[in-house]
Amino acid sequence: MEAVIEAIAVAMREDPRVFYIGQDVGAMQGSMQGTKGLWEEFGPMRIREAPISESAMVGAALGAALFGQRPIVEISFGEFLPAAMNQLINQAPNLHYMTGGTARVPVVVRTRVGDGPYGGHPQDYSAWFAHVPGWKVVMPATPVDAKGMMTAAIRDDGPVLFFEGMSLSHAARAPVPLDAFETPIGPARIAREGRDVTVVAVGSSLPLAVRAAGELAAEGIELEILDLRTLRPLDRDAILASVRRTRRLITVHEAWVAGGIGAEVVASVVEEAPEVLVAPVIRIGAAAVPVPSGKVRPHALPNARHIVEAARRVMAGTRA
Amino acid sequence: MLAPVEAKGLSEGLRLYGWMALSRELDEVLCAANPRWFPSAGEEAAMVGAFCDLRPDDAIAAHYRGPLVIYMMRGAEMARLVAQVLGKVGGYNKGRSVPFTGPVDLKIVPWVAGDLGTSLGVATGAALAFQQEGSDRICVCTFGDGTANRGDFHENLNLAASWRLPIVYVCQHNGWAISQPAKDYLPAPVANRAAGYAIPGLEVDGNDVDAVRRTMMGAIARAREGNGPSLIEARTWRAKGHWAADPQDYRAIHPDTPMADPLVRYGDRLIQRGEASATDLDRLRDAARAAVASTLEAVRVLPDTGEAELGLDEVHP
Repeated sequence: MEAVIEAIAVAMREDPRVFYIGQDVGAMQGSMQGTKGLWEEFGPMRIREAPISESAMVGAALGAALFGQRPIVEISFGEFLPAAMNQLINQAPNLHYMTGGTARVPVVVRTRVGDGPYGGHPQDYSAWFAHVPGWKVVMPATPVDAKGMMTAAIRDDGPVLFFEGMSLSHAARAPVPLDAFETPIGPARIAREGRDVTVVAVGSSLPLAVRAAGELAAEGIELEILDLRTLRPLDRDAILASVRRTRRLITVHEAWVAGGIGAEVVASVVEEAPEVLVAPVIRIGAAAVPVPSGKVRPHALPNARHIVEAARRVMAGTRA
Repeated sequence: MLAPVEAKGLSEGLRLYGWMALSRELDEVLCAANPRWFPSAGEEAAMVGAFCDLRPDDAIAAHYRGPLVIYMMRGAEMARLVAQVLGKVGGYNKGRSVPFTGPVDLKIVPWVAGDLGTSLGVATGAALAFQQEGSDRICVCTFGDGTANRGDFHENLNLAASWRLPIVYVCQHNGWAISQPAKDYLPAPVANRAAGYAIPGLEVDGNDVDAVRRTMMGAIARAREGNGPSLIEARTWRAKGHWAADPQDYRAIHPDTPMADPLVRYGDRLIQRGEASATDLDRLRDAARAAVASTLEAVRVLPDTGEAELGLDEVHP
């Protein structure tokens, strides 16, 4: 979280065209303290507190971008994205293409999804947007990537959706370089090398995969973990390269399985090189229910145990 | 070719008449050429009056009914706009979007989808950009009385009023949302809603271009001086169908009252004022007809847009 705020602050110091639109981003310092310090430093004209009007907020960001500014618009939680869907689907991704490649809309839409410290607003709709040409969709899993990818998103000349897994927001601590640096949008990252099974993990599922890998290593099963980082454009080359080595594939994300990004990851292997797979693939994600806000929630979400069991099944199901 | 109204030496009144006449002529020809074109005949005073007193650096977002002449007033080429409507190469949109869009480099909010209401949001954003840059540029956004019932109307007027954004919202109220008469979906004038946002809300005779301009002047000045948005409801009348080939059977079930033709009204007024003779007006209409005819002739022979315009590399800059 601090890494994201740091990226925004650095960009706002560097470029007067960068400004911020969100709810409760002023005196309250943002949902989950997500804009802490920005209002004090930049004031109410550059940290704009908006009415509860997500469609107008996104539309205003798009128009401001079309006319020379570089706004970041925060939708407090991903559950509120549907309130702005017309702007997010019919406008943002279309503006450049439909104008014959002339319009530029450098907009970042920042939002929070998944399980978190307070348990509210857990729905993760990220896959919807990865479906749409014209969007770049990112979901960093580490503090360094959070800063680097936010910087890249702000500098991008088109619309970028920046998803923060809420369980990561105040989680793992890691040293982050102070200067501005970009983590390119697109390339996935090998978070752990291993010879037996590729686990493609998205955002908040990365720590689960890391935990599972530790447990499985004791059994002699070595996971290779690919931190996907970007849902669109998908790094098909990195996925395929890893699976060519391990010949086995598991996908894991906090969003639902059906129609999820995991399916697209699997397709990128079976379309290109189905012969490399020596075992059935397994997709892990939220149970097929609206993700509960109450104490039922952990039972609906993926955990490290799911990954451990899936890896054992994949190893056991390997063809001779 | 240059539009006839760009000829040098025309008085302001004749120029306005010329734009309205050009719009009428263009509309007629496009309706004949494309059965799915949205006719604007009878709404020219509201259209032209809303946009004729802006600066080139201001932004505009024009209602889908009748925007082409508005784009031409800002310098867009008639042939390229007509190409969009006919599906020919040379259009600003490369044949990709709905045909009633205009070029963004002329500070035009483009139409990139067929949905209604989102353009209010993008237009509001243009005004936000101008406030951020500290300039006195403004935005004018027109939309229909049907669109006024989108949630975006409320969200954007409330946001623009809260932030005192330099924008003028103009409802081009023609009495119809496709087949439904306004009395069935508007329990009160759209302008009344302005009170809820504590901004000026003004109704005006949308078929009187002078009246529309007078009302706009106040709202434009207010926006330019940093005093925030206004809402204007220009009452006009849809003389034709929703689309060119619309059989309009519903009009027998929901009879409405025609309004006087704004072109005839304005022409008569120019003659009464001694600003123009009937011959001057005839000449302008003839020039408009000739310009539209020759443009259509030139565009018709162009190739249709096709795979070459697909532009797979133009999805994200």
